[in-house]
Amino acid sequence: MTYVISETLSEYDTPICDTLAETVKKSLRTSDTIGIDRCLQCGACTSSCPAARFTDYNPRTMIKRVMENDMSVIEDETIWNCFYCYTCHLRCPRNNSPTQVVQVLRQMAINKGIGLDRLKVLLEYGDTFAELGVSKIPDLYVGQMEDDFDRRWHEFKNNLDAVRSELGLGPVAVRDSGRGEIRAILEGIGLFERQEKLKQMVESESDTVDKKGQITDEAN
Amino acid sequence: MNHSNDHVGVFICHCGGNISDIIDIRSVKQEIRSDNISTFDCEYLCSNVGQDLIKTSIYKHSLDKVIIGACTPAKHEKLFKKCVEDAQLNASMLEIANLREQCSWVHPNNLATTNKAISLLNGKIKRIQTALPLIPIQIPINPNAMVIGGGIAGINSALNLANNGIHTYLIEKEVTIGGNAAKIGKMFSPEKLAEECSMCSLSPLMNEVGSHPNITLLTYSEVENVNGSAGDFKVTIRKKPRYVKDNCMACGRCSKVCPTYVENDYNCGVKDKKAISMRFAQSVPQVYSIDPDHCIELTGGECGKCRDVCKVDAIDFEQKDEMIELDVGAIVVATGFDEYDASRKPQYGYGIFENVVTQMELARILGVNGPTLGKFARPSDNSMPHNIVMIQCVGSRDEGKSGNKYCSRYCCMAALKHASLIAKKYPDANVTICYIDIRAFGLYENYYRAVQDMGISFVRGRPAEVVQKANHNLVVKIEDTLTQELKEIPADMVVLSSAMEASSGTKQVANILNITLSEDGFVKEKHSKLKPVDTSRDGIFVCGTAQSPKDVTDTIAQSGLAAARTSAFISDKVIRRDPQIAQIERSLCNNCDECLKCPFEAISKDKIGNVDINPLVCNGCGYCTKLCSKGAISIAGYKEEQIMAEIDGVIEKGDVLAFLSREIPYATADNIGNSVAEYPANVKIVQVPTTTIITKAMIEHAFKRGSQAVLLVEEPTDNPVGSFIYPLALENFEQLKGELGKKGARLHFKKAYIPHYRGLAETFISLAQMEDIE
Amino acid sequence: MKQIENIPDCGILLFKSCLVSVEYPGIESSTTYVFDKLGIDYLVSDEQSCCTGLGYYFDLFDQMSTTAVAARNFAIARKNGYNNITPMCSTCYAINKEACALLNSNDEVRSNINSVFKQAGLDDLIYEQNSLDEVDNFYHVVELFLSKAKQIGKLNTIDFSGVRVAAHHACHYYKIQSDDMIGNPNHPLLIDTIAKSCGADVVEWYEDKTLTCGAGFSQIHVNRDLSLKVTHAKLESLKEAGVELVLHMCPNCQIQYDRYQPVIEKEYGTKYDFVHMNIGQFVALALGADPEKVCGFQTHSVPLDGFLERIGVSF
Repeated sequence: MTYVISETLSEYDTPICDTLAETVKKSLRTSDTIGIDRCLQCGACTSSCPAARFTDYNPRTMIKRVMENDMSVIEDETIWNCFYCYTCHLRCPRNNSPTQVVQVLRQMAINKGIGLDRLKVLLEYGDTFAELGVSKIPDLYVGQMEDDFDRRWHEFKNNLDAVRSELGLGPVAVRDSGRGEIRAILEGIGLFERQEKLKQMVESESDTVDKKGQITDEAN
Repeated sequence: MNHSNDHVGVFICHCGGNISDIIDIRSVKQEIRSDNISTFDCEYLCSNVGQDLIKTSIYKHSLDKVIIGACTPAKHEKLFKKCVEDAQLNASMLEIANLREQCSWVHPNNLATTNKAISLLNGKIKRIQTALPLIPIQIPINPNAMVIGGGIAGINSALNLANNGIHTYLIEKEVTIGGNAAKIGKMFSPEKLAEECSMCSLSPLMNEVGSHPNITLLTYSEVENVNGSAGDFKVTIRKKPRYVKDNCMACGRCSKVCPTYVENDYNCGVKDKKAISMRFAQSVPQVYSIDPDHCIELTGGECGKCRDVCKVDAIDFEQKDEMIELDVGAIVVATGFDEYDASRKPQYGYGIFENVVTQMELARILGVNGPTLGKFARPSDNSMPHNIVMIQCVGSRDEGKSGNKYCSRYCCMAALKHASLIAKKYPDANVTICYIDIRAFGLYENYYRAVQDMGISFVRGRPAEVVQKANHNLVVKIEDTLTQELKEIPADMVVLSSAMEASSGTKQVANILNITLSEDGFVKEKHSKLKPVDTSRDGIFVCGTAQSPKDVTDTIAQSGLAAARTSAFISDKVIRRDPQIAQIERSLCNNCDECLKCPFEAISKDKIGNVDINPLVCNGCGYCTKLCSKGAISIAGYKEEQIMAEIDGVIEKGDVLAFLSREIPYATADNIGNSVAEYPANVKIVQVPTTTIITKAMIEHAFKRGSQAVLLVEEPTDNPVGSFIYPLALENFEQLKGELGKKGARLHFKKAYIPHYRGLAETFISLAQMEDIE
Repeated sequence: MKQIENIPDCGILLFKSCLVSVEYPGIESSTTYVFDKLGIDYLVSDEQSCCTGLGYYFDLFDQMSTTAVAARNFAIARKNGYNNITPMCSTCYAINKEACALLNSNDEVRSNINSVFKQAGLDDLIYEQNSLDEVDNFYHVVELFLSKAKQIGKLNTIDFSGVRVAAHHACHYYKIQSDDMIGNPNHPLLIDTIAKSCGADVVEWYEDKTLTCGAGFSQIHVNRDLSLKVTHAKLESLKEAGVELVLHMCPNCQIQYDRYQPVIEKEYGTKYDFVHMNIGQFVALALGADPEKVCGFQTHSVPLDGFLERIGVSF
């Protein structure tokens, strides 16, 4: 298969290999000792999985498909239901980690242009991070939170600086050493280059996402 | 020492043409005969006629030394040694030249082959001139045996030994023998497809132990210390006080009047036992004992009711620990298993929810002598459970920190047995077994099929959790991996098939005995296939679940084997060791302690600071001879002068000299012959214990005699000697190569494997064909 | 394996969290309040950046970028001599610990990141192999509290007897590097032990104790219904257990429970009678901190007024 993104950075999280299992094992996102080859298909992962409890996601069969080199698993929408709660990782009797595997699959999906609608709202995250040194929930999601939460939260948010100073806390942003360290580091690693590519991919995608960023067809 | 005036007899075997068709025996005899060398030949030296020839010739011709030219010494060395010993010669007055596997079978019928045979015999003739008589090493074996652990493995071992006429001490840390087998209630029969009373099989054996004239039973006793070595172990036993003397009649009056109830670990911790009690009715010995932690009198109070009612005055509150010293020749470790602590998997609720039990606890609940007196009842409310869910592999087949990697072997069958018992007696009950694989190996499959036919449900999957709902009812959350359904199976009782783990007693005893444990904590056997009951120390054997998880059937089989091995060991009466091991000339030793680096730990210092070589441990590898700068250590039969003498006789100009270590490499060279492969006749083999004994002087001597190349062939690393010696031999080779300077290019090194004889033959060929570089 | 007796109380870099800062700043002020009371030697650095955990688990940040940012924060820790990285957030804990393990074990990752530092003229950030240890230099604040549980119990000023407390231990603390958590990862009891030392009536086991809070990083935003189903299941089980106070150790979980509890009540037509607190806020309160000026309870969505009144704290 060919990847839309194949620049150096994705080589670490999704190295191109002959098989999916090899990619998973070599990925920086998975442990060196990951026991995917030793999977017993015992289902301890699935019976422990919050996503499996409420959706069609099945970490056991996902692992089976990876072992069988079934590339269609990358396009399976259920992989986006994992919570990254690592209960499968904890309970697996063979030191396998479906949640780490699914992280690699999602990265491969993104490289192919799948799931970009999710990422679309996140594309400013890197810039904010470089600027402030803190993670910031994307504006679109904040909008949902504004809708969900009541007066208490709005009041607090409007007075965040005052509340913080009353609690004796300083500014949220990182003190800039004048060197623009974080931006320089992320630049050097290649994060922005990758983000730029993602942006281009998003722009060339014509499909639409509803305003709240929901992937409407699989939320249930 | 010059023994060149000794009379040597050289006997050459035709081997029915195998040797004589290729080698011209007449000219060989002519060539080597001299004033004090007589020659003989025979169609088959190994036949009775041949043996008689050797024996009578020794007498008739007053032979001092014997050389045999025949097949490989691996084949008949023992036989020929016996011949010379029968004729009143010391066994080291015999040398064998390998004229078949390393000569007639690997070379063509020509002059060169006959010449090689002559040189091989010459080598042996020169070598034997320097030989000294060696006294075989013999250590007497104490005729008593000790079995540690009185479970079914120890009981069976002890009875087998005792019935074989060996006096056996059986040491048990509990107040009675019986172990875990006394708890399980029923055993399944794969032939009858039925469950049989376990105590009905065990109790007669226990009684036999108690009354056997060859068994000394020490219960409530633990091994405190063990000194000495194989054949001669000095054991210290600590016998704990029962506070009841052996004259107890087991009438039970004491228990009736005892006011204190204590937890009964035989019955899953239920408080149904008195502070003075017997563990169970069939206990052996039939002697009561007092729990000192709960007895009123022993905890400082005033009671003494038991003493007052005892008619034989058996109660003795003054009893103390007693130390007992035993001398035994061999030891069997049968220290059993501990059940995995299922509370280490809190997701299954053991120790949190009352109605979650283990298979062992279920066995007690189902047992007529159990906490419910045979009533099938769950702990929370004593009601009969209708839905029973069993969870397999709890603590087994689990790489996580809270589990064990291995399969515990017994649990699939235990679950099937209990499912069958429940289904037969309570047809309304529903039993579900949650499994990953059902391992019903061999004929056990028949029993599995029979249980399937009873309507037991099987769900394939490892459950996530057990949760408790109202009224102490439980739910097992699982994915049925065959249907991909997430299920919540309701259960009145959940039964966990807990793993078998190495017992704490096993670890404790292994530590005292200094025997090796596997990474899983069980006693490691010497070889999993060929020596399954030998431990890392001679004279100490292992059986049952101390060695690995197993069921009763396998335990009985293995404990019988351990008894047979122990019996064979003791019956030898003496340990005989090959005299060709390290020996020290104390007058030359300067106590530099270099030899203590012995990789087999055979060399130590004795109490007065002298170097001491343990003949039971030393395998004669020869590494120490290189460590000793004073030349104080040598290998008997392989002194430098002996090897030099053999080189002298064997090597001619243009020869390749191959030093072969005595086990795998020498056998590999023989295998070239067995496999009818060939190599040139100018390759001459000299056997050595290992190539670590090779010195610069030996190699230079070979070069001086005209050898064009010298090859060292070492034991491979997967051989018990090679695993230690190979790296040291390689180091020795590299050092020699350096010391030899330019000539070092003619020194070569290789390891050998028996099946890979072709590799060795090819090395021989390429070295033999190399141009003489000098 | 981590041993409770080896938990340090000096050289602590109290690692700031993005979500604590903007959602529950009272967690940070409570934690420093407790540290001061317990005599713990710590540093809060305004140079330290966030761990990138949100970006990483939103599937945006890659492992290399996240590790590079971690390496920069490790340099700040070393420069100041506060080498025990101790976050209030379980994801910060896991991300930093994993980054350190990678920097120590993977030569390619380390040299790649160090060469980026060099090229950017940031030589002072260069990470030397094993300059931090992924086991011995990484703690969660809850572990420090646990190691001082006896002292906390002695200093406690509030009568918590009869207060039904349950804990939600954060997944990323005990499930990712489960060998390095204190206790059994299938039944974490750190928070329970601390609450017990203050005399609370702790519900140690309830159904779904180890179920995730449901935030799932992007799930609450992108798969909101699914996310709330999980949170609902957990809230139901807490209700079943009859608890009054749920204690947390991660701001992400706290948002999910405290902020979304009223949302779930509305959407599922149900009512919950319990309130939420971070373990730092709980201990600070126990040690006499002001509920507003230190604990910052006014920033919570589930009002604590009633609960505080019940335990005799005026708010």
